[in-house]
This record gives sequence, structure tokens and C-alpha cells, in this order.
Amino acid sequence: MRKRILIIDDDVRHLITAKEILEEEGYEVITHHYAFGATNTVRVQQPDLVLLDVNMPGLSGDRLSKVMLSNEKSKDIPIVFYSSNDEDSLRKAVSEYGVKGYICKGSIFDLRKGVAYYLGQSQ
Amino acid sequence: MTFETECHTVGVLIASRENVPPQTRVNRVAENFFGSTSLDAVAIVEGNEPVGLVTRQKLLFTLFRRFGFELYGRKPVITVADTEPLTIHKNERLDVAIDMALQRPVEDIYDEIIVVNDSSCFMGLLSVKQMIIQQSNALANSMVQKEIAKARIKELENIEKIKSQFIANVTHELRSPVNAIIGLAELMKISCEKGYMDQLNDRLSLLMSSASNLRAIITNILDLSKIEAGKMEVIYEGFDMAALLRESAETTRVLLGNKPVEVDVITPISPLHIVSDPLKVRQILTNLLSNAAKFTEKGKISLLLNEEEGRIKIIVCDTGLGIKDEDISRLFTAFTQLEDVTTKRHEGTGLGLTITKNLIRMLGGSISVSSTYGKGTAFEIVLPKMSSE
Ligand SMILES: Nc1ncnc2c1ncn2[C@@H]1O[C@H](COP(=O)(O)OP(=O)(O)OP(=O)(O)O)[C@@H](O)[C@H]1O
Ligand SMILES: [Mg+2]
Repeated sequence: MRKRILIIDDDVRHLITAKEILEEEGYEVITHHYAFGATNTVRVQQPDLVLLDVNMPGLSGDRLSKVMLSNEKSKDIPIVFYSSNDEDSLRKAVSEYGVKGYICKGSIFDLRKGVAYYLGQSQ
Repeated sequence: MTFETECHTVGVLIASRENVPPQTRVNRVAENFFGSTSLDAVAIVEGNEPVGLVTRQKLLFTLFRRFGFELYGRKPVITVADTEPLTIHKNERLDVAIDMALQRPVEDIYDEIIVVNDSSCFMGLLSVKQMIIQQSNALANSMVQKEIAKARIKELENIEKIKSQFIANVTHELRSPVNAIIGLAELMKISCEKGYMDQLNDRLSLLMSSASNLRAIITNILDLSKIEAGKMEVIYEGFDMAALLRESAETTRVLLGNKPVEVDVITPISPLHIVSDPLKVRQILTNLLSNAAKFTEKGKISLLLNEEEGRIKIIVCDTGLGIKDEDISRLFTAFTQLEDVTTKRHEGTGLGLTITKNLIRMLGGSISVSSTYGKGTAFEIVLPKMSSE
């Protein structure tokens, strides 16, 4: 079965690029623009992996991850931060919020490798 | 810096060395007091050793009583003196001396204290009043210093906080467009390889806007570095301020896109020729207007120009988000944005106003702001009409 990946970001440019790159890899990719309503999309779509941007207006990705991890219907779906933030701060956020890990934006190679890694891990 | 109250020893505070031998007549000592209003007490010293103390108050009180002069005037001063005055060593601490003085009976509290050296020789007199003043000054000083130090520590903590927030901000603001550019370029490469040309145009526009966004941020960071290094130059030229204002208004309309916001320019005097640095003035206006455009969703942005007493006044006001009173003081601090980095709705690095303030200062002007949260904001700039050079 094709793996389903959900990308949540406020920046359309990142949604477009990540979606296409991952579709090239043969994944099924859904995108959600902005943080609002994202928890619902997660519950309905039940993706195999969530790529979550951190800096988003209104509700930041790290706080959104907390909401998702505390909900029965989404708590087992692996979340990975996908962000342009400083790597140290991402590492800190990962341990603080208890998500699976992070992928730095900006390298197609890292994105492909990271997604494959975290999907493999969740099997 | 230490926070301790400075503790002087009393030796340095000796207020007078006035002394007389014990056999001096009371009248003579009284004359001394009449002759010098600043003389408060005289020690009675025999050989080198202090044997008593007469204070102005007590001596005059004795003499002015009925028959005082007749009874005591011709007697040796020692007969009316306090023969057991408080006597302390010159190395005694000020606070201890004050304590000892204050433990005396009420009527003696303000009597001078005699200071002696290691061999019990008379050195001088201490004024209790002066010691107390000294002590409370020292205390007040140390409290002021403590407050200053505390404020400084807080300032440093704030600077540290602002610095790390800057790093977080700039990291994201610089990387985000770079990453978008790389991603978009990769996508286009893939499309080209496969011969899919249909989306290429859209992707290129997105890539170009990301690139110019990035350029704007880099320019700001470089500008601020230049200002901080003292390398920003002012080049004076004559130009029409009214025209520059109208031109900036035009740019603002473009920035606003299709937001329902009007841009008004009110220039009663046109043309208004001034001598300043037009590039810097333009940059100042662009920064203020880009903020107004960014933080106003509907209503109006107004630009007002006025001339008064060799100065020009420009007001940029909007009907936007507004700024809370408690945030006003942070506005012009480098890298400060009022929104939280991770949830902010508006792009930017928080450098615009800091650069603006610095540029205005370089042009010999000033900027002030007034705002009502939820209603709108007005920035007022005053610039000299002619360069002072
Ligand atoms: N006209 C305005 N209305 C409401 N808030 C404002 C206005 N102008 C400035 N601010 C607030 O002050 C902050 C600092 O403004 P500044 O221009 O220095 O930075 P910025 O616009 O966020 O980023 P940059 O100008 O570097 O792109 C803004 O982030 C915003 O919160
Ligand atoms: Mg700005």
C-alpha cells in the first residue's frame, strides 16, 4: 500500500515543493495550509507520517503537535517537524514535545532520506 | 561594584580641633562661642589628654540663667564642663560611633564626641549631626548604586534575550526564502527533464518573489551592520519632499494589493524643497509605510507633510492593528517584533524601525509614535529643512 504523508505549512511554496518531491518518490501526499483545522485533517486522513512546519501564524507547529499527541485519534500518528528554524532549537523542540524527529527544510536529499527513515521506523 | 554600605572610620570625619586648657575662664570660652557661630563645642584638654567637653548650647544655657554670668563667668571652664564626655578611638567605625552617641541620655545625644589616638591624646571633635548625615548619605548612595546595578543586570539580561531571539528570527527569515528558492529550482529542473512546461511560469514567479523577499531581508541586516559600524554616509542634496511623498504613496498602494485600504497624501505646500539625503528619507518612508501596509487590513493610510520653523514634519498614520501601550517602548529596539516568532502572521525581521530611527538621527531629526491598540498608529518624523553642514 502507498504510504500517505500529510504536510502542514503556512507557506505555500514549501507545500508545493515538498508535495511534488515526495510524490516523485511514490508517496501519496496531502497538504494542509496553515495550522487551523489541521487536527481534523489528521484525524480524518489518518496519514502514516505528518510533516509539520513550526513557525505558523496563530498556532505554532510545536503547540499543534501537543494537541495532536494528546488526542486519542491522532496520538499514534508519527509527527516530524519540517522547518527552516535553527537546528539546535529544532532538536530541543523535538525532545520537549515528544515528536519523532525533525527534517531541515532546504535539502531535497534530506527530505527524501528523512521521510523514508521515519516511515521505516513507524512500521 | 560592591553593595556594602561604605563604613568609614571616624578619624576622617573630625569636624573641629577646638580645645582649651581646664583653667580657662568660662567667660573666655563664651566669647569664643559668640565670636564664631559655627563653633558648636570645645574640648577641654590638659597636656594632650581630653578631660572634658563644653557645648555651645549647654554653656550658654548656664550663663543666661539668672545670675549665670555672675555665678560662673570667672570660674575655670572645667567646673561647668561635662567631665565624662563620650570618647572614642580614631579607628572606631562610623556606625558604631553613631550607636554609642545615640545610647546617651536624650539631652546629651547631640553632644560632640571626642576622638583620641592610640596613646589617648586628643585628636578632635566629631559632630553627631554631621555623622548622621554622612551615614544616611552613604546609605542612600549605596541604595542608588544597588538600583543602578540591578537595572544594568536587567538590561543585560534583556539584551541577551533579544540577541537569541534575533538569531532565531533571522535564521528563519533568511532560511525560509532560501529553502523555497532551492526547492522551487529543483522542481523546475525535474519538470524540465520530463518536459512538463505548463507550471514553469508560475514556479518562476514564486521563485522570483522569494528571491526579492530574501534580498530585502539581507539589505536590512547589512544596513544595520553598516550603521552600527559607523560606516553609513549621509549625502546631502536638494529635492522636493512633496514629490517624494507622493511617490512613496504610490509604492504603498502597490504593496497593499487588493486590501481595502486607501492611501491619502496631504501636502499643503508643494513643491517643498529641502536639503537632506533623499535616499535615506525614501528608506525611512518606505519602512514606515511598509509597516502601515503590513499591519492595516482596512481603512486608510495617511501621509501628512507640514513645514514649521526651518523643520519639516511628516506624519504617517494608519487605521490598522495598533500597538499596546506596554509595547511602545520596545518598538525601536533592534530585532524586536511584537508578535511571537513562532506564531507571527506578518513577515519581517524587526529591523525596519531600528534602521529608521538611526537614519533619522543621522539626518538630525527625530521620530515619535502614538497608537491606540485596535484603532491605529501614527508615526511623526521631524527633519531639518536644510542640512546643518
Ligand atoms: N504601523 C504599525 N502598526 C502596528 N504595529 C506596528 C506598526 N509598525 C510597527 N509595528 C510593530 O513593530 C514591530 C517592529 O517593526 P519593524 O518595522 O521594526 O519590524 P518588522 O516590520 O516586523 O520587520 P522588518 O521591517 O525588518 O521587515 C512590528 O513587528 C510590529 O509588531
Ligand atoms: Mg517593518
